[in-house]
Amino acid sequence: MISFLVVNPFIDSLLKILSIVGLMTVSAMGLIYLERKIAARFHMRLGPTRTGPAGLLQSVADALKLVGKEDIRPASADAWSFELAPYFVFIPAFMMFVTIPFTLMLNVEMLTLGLLYIIAISSVSIVGWVMAGWGSDNRYALIGALRAAAQGISYELPLVLSVLCIAMIAQSLNLNEIIAQQTIVPNILLQPFAFFLFFTSALAEMNRAPFDIPVGESEVVGGPFVEYSGIRWSMFFLAEYTALLIMSILIVALFLGGWSWPFGEKLGTSWQILLTIMKTSLVIFLIFWVRVSVPRMRIDQLMNFCWKVLIPLALIQIFLNGLILVFHLPTFLLAVSSIMLMGVLVLIINKSMQNLNKNHIVKNNLESA
Amino acid sequence: MSENNENQQLDSFLDNKTKDLFDKLWNIIEKNINDVSITRIDLEEKMSKVDLIVSIDKKDILNLFSQLRENENLSFDYLRCLTAVDLQDQGIEVVYQLYSMSTKFNLTVKSMLSNDDLNIESVTSIWRGANWYERETSEMFGIIFNNHPDPRNLLLPEDMLDVFPLRKSHPLAEIEVLQGEDIEPSH
Amino acid sequence: MSNKQIETQEILVNMGPQHPSTHGVFRMVLSVDGEMITDVQPYIGYLHRGAEKLCETMDYRQGIGFMDRTEYLANFNAELSYVMAVERLLDIEVPERANWIRMILVELNRLSSHFMFVGAFGVDCGVFGTPFLYSFRERERLIDFFEEISGDRMMYAYFRPGGLAWDVPANFVSRVEEVLSSSEQGIKDMDGLLTNNEIFLSRTKQVGIIDGKAAIDWGMSGPSLRASGIEYDIRRAEPYLYYNDIDFDVITGINGDVFDRYFVRLQEMRQSINIVRQCLANLTSGAILADAAARNLRTPPGEVYIRTEAPRGEYGIYLVSNGDNRPYRLKIRSAGFSNLQALRDMVIGSYIPDAVVILGSIDIVLGEVDR
Repeated sequence: MISFLVVNPFIDSLLKILSIVGLMTVSAMGLIYLERKIAARFHMRLGPTRTGPAGLLQSVADALKLVGKEDIRPASADAWSFELAPYFVFIPAFMMFVTIPFTLMLNVEMLTLGLLYIIAISSVSIVGWVMAGWGSDNRYALIGALRAAAQGISYELPLVLSVLCIAMIAQSLNLNEIIAQQTIVPNILLQPFAFFLFFTSALAEMNRAPFDIPVGESEVVGGPFVEYSGIRWSMFFLAEYTALLIMSILIVALFLGGWSWPFGEKLGTSWQILLTIMKTSLVIFLIFWVRVSVPRMRIDQLMNFCWKVLIPLALIQIFLNGLILVFHLPTFLLAVSSIMLMGVLVLIINKSMQNLNKNHIVKNNLESA
Repeated sequence: MSENNENQQLDSFLDNKTKDLFDKLWNIIEKNINDVSITRIDLEEKMSKVDLIVSIDKKDILNLFSQLRENENLSFDYLRCLTAVDLQDQGIEVVYQLYSMSTKFNLTVKSMLSNDDLNIESVTSIWRGANWYERETSEMFGIIFNNHPDPRNLLLPEDMLDVFPLRKSHPLAEIEVLQGEDIEPSH
Repeated sequence: MSNKQIETQEILVNMGPQHPSTHGVFRMVLSVDGEMITDVQPYIGYLHRGAEKLCETMDYRQGIGFMDRTEYLANFNAELSYVMAVERLLDIEVPERANWIRMILVELNRLSSHFMFVGAFGVDCGVFGTPFLYSFRERERLIDFFEEISGDRMMYAYFRPGGLAWDVPANFVSRVEEVLSSSEQGIKDMDGLLTNNEIFLSRTKQVGIIDGKAAIDWGMSGPSLRASGIEYDIRRAEPYLYYNDIDFDVITGINGDVFDRYFVRLQEMRQSINIVRQCLANLTSGAILADAAARNLRTPPGEVYIRTEAPRGEYGIYLVSNGDNRPYRLKIRSAGFSNLQALRDMVIGSYIPDAVVILGSIDIVLGEVDR
């Protein structure tokens, strides 16, 4: 735990809050820069190059520009919900940071129910989205907000269920303990399906592609944020990247063994930090990669996928895990069951594709040139 | 130019293949469209070099077009284009370009409207695609298409109902309002 | 618990004219019941510049430039209809070389226009710019090539009644082959990025279906019509230039849904490459402008309706002449205008995101719709 000066609990808390806000803001800005650069490489572009060396100061320039902009509120907007909405999105994102483990025993506050806390806090932001959408008095914003609410609440379920799979194996909700148990085998090997579930639901929770339906630029032009400008808009933006960072660290903690190196070696704190950063970067890169590669899903397809595919399969996984753990069956069965469920998922997707494909242009037309 | 002259000119640029096609199509039309209610259906003398042109009286158009469309020897199911030409003193001519997907015939049908009676039946009941073409022709020439399902302006502003830009009597830039024209010069 | 029904209300959503995916200044007012579209009211005319009226005041050569500005993604195709109409009125014979070059350029322009479509369509489906930039790279190569030939990236004004403005550069053939091979790779990239992507398929298949009969009734043309299974391509139905001597397939779809419209275009690009290769083999040397083509043309009185197969469909020029050096009346029949009418049929009953995809699949160019 960070305990800077244990002179005064108030100063201690203040320092903690400052460290959260400072670290998060800086890393969110770094992420924005990284996303631009990485997406640009995928696009065969250069991305920002002019501000600072290799465009490093682009995010700073953007932040300055946004802060300097006029804070516009539409005349017909609902003042209270419009003005308060950014805080409802911004604050929960930062609150999640509290219990995120960076190294062994290095986090702001170690909670025994850390996982529960994160999941509880992460759903608060939906309120902010709905407030923003409703308060803006804009149809795009309203549609976006309703989509966000539907999507956020639906995908909370597979998220929680996948976490439950892990919690069953770890027998704990404390993130530090969950990581400590992965020193030999990371959970992704035991529960690949739960990883897929969590990754997908996390993308949906963060409203990132291919689930960026509430903000879908080509449809609802930014969704709930369409009327926001200046500092309020940048709060949404920062919250988005903060959530991205936290979700990635969470994925690392739950499935990739957090700070630990596989094979059970004990590492020093600086190595642990490096490992966390590297694993997190990997996950973030994966998220960016997904973003530039796939089209956006439609809201009904998204809901179908969640309620008809993900949740039943997740429940099956929990049931199987329960069986294996209660009857003390060999651990590798956890992995086997999970891989089987992955296979079922692939089959389901293939089947739905075949339904679409029947009565269609013959496929061998594809490569005729 | 005399009529004779024109026919000679016509022969010179119509190759035999096209001519045969025109004759064939005209034969079919003559054979199949023999409704007594159609008073006059003429082969246009000033023939286009690509398509056969017929001109008919405006009160017969719905009758003719439904026959052209329904008759299986013709089956003109595709309305390529619908427009009008302002011939000033002679009136405004509405032009329909038809095509048949099955028989591959092309046909141009024209109907002259006199300047004091600019209205004609809408053909949207025969080809739905005529909708926007009629709206455009209507706003550009001031022709009223009777029984049109949606007779609003299409390209021009909603309230621009008294100006018909494509008429020859309407010179360019007449309605152009220069910015700041009404503002008193400040000293 | 009460049995009271929840009161629902339709809302109107105004899409455009400033909207990222209305492809220009198109506006549609959607009535939505939740996400379901119950009605759509399209509005066009924001880009109406009166090209037809303007052409009546300009002589025949000046009109060429206006054609570029109506159809700004397939300028060569638009110019072709216009110059062919004038040639038909004048009854002049175009030299063989000029016609082959015209065919090559028109097909390459079809390629570049379809590249634009595929890229923009990817964005409509919600990919974050990747297909857009990949296809723009290919389009950029084509446009660079057009610039080498005509001196301008977009507004070429290169075709003349009677032939071409000037001869192509000496390295024409090798340059065409260069852009063809890069385009081939580009089409493969597009296939990889979109065609087999599951999410893309589920977004586009069984969406925005229009059957062949309705499509004909609305006057649709081009790939949008062929996707509905109607084998109608003006290059085949009424061959112009030398399309009679060229071997190519008319691609048709089956379902008439969004995917078919996309896929027909993608296959058509391959056919275009095929056509250009054959044209290159036939390219002869010789004059590029007919001797009869005067600088200040006067056409004999008469009228003509010339249509060619532009990337979006039938691009028709109805030209009426009264013997002057300018058209008496010039009507531009654009494919987008007719295709856009059918939007209503396709959109009603689908979801809001579908409306965007459907509009993208029709591939409108507002410059040509509004003229």
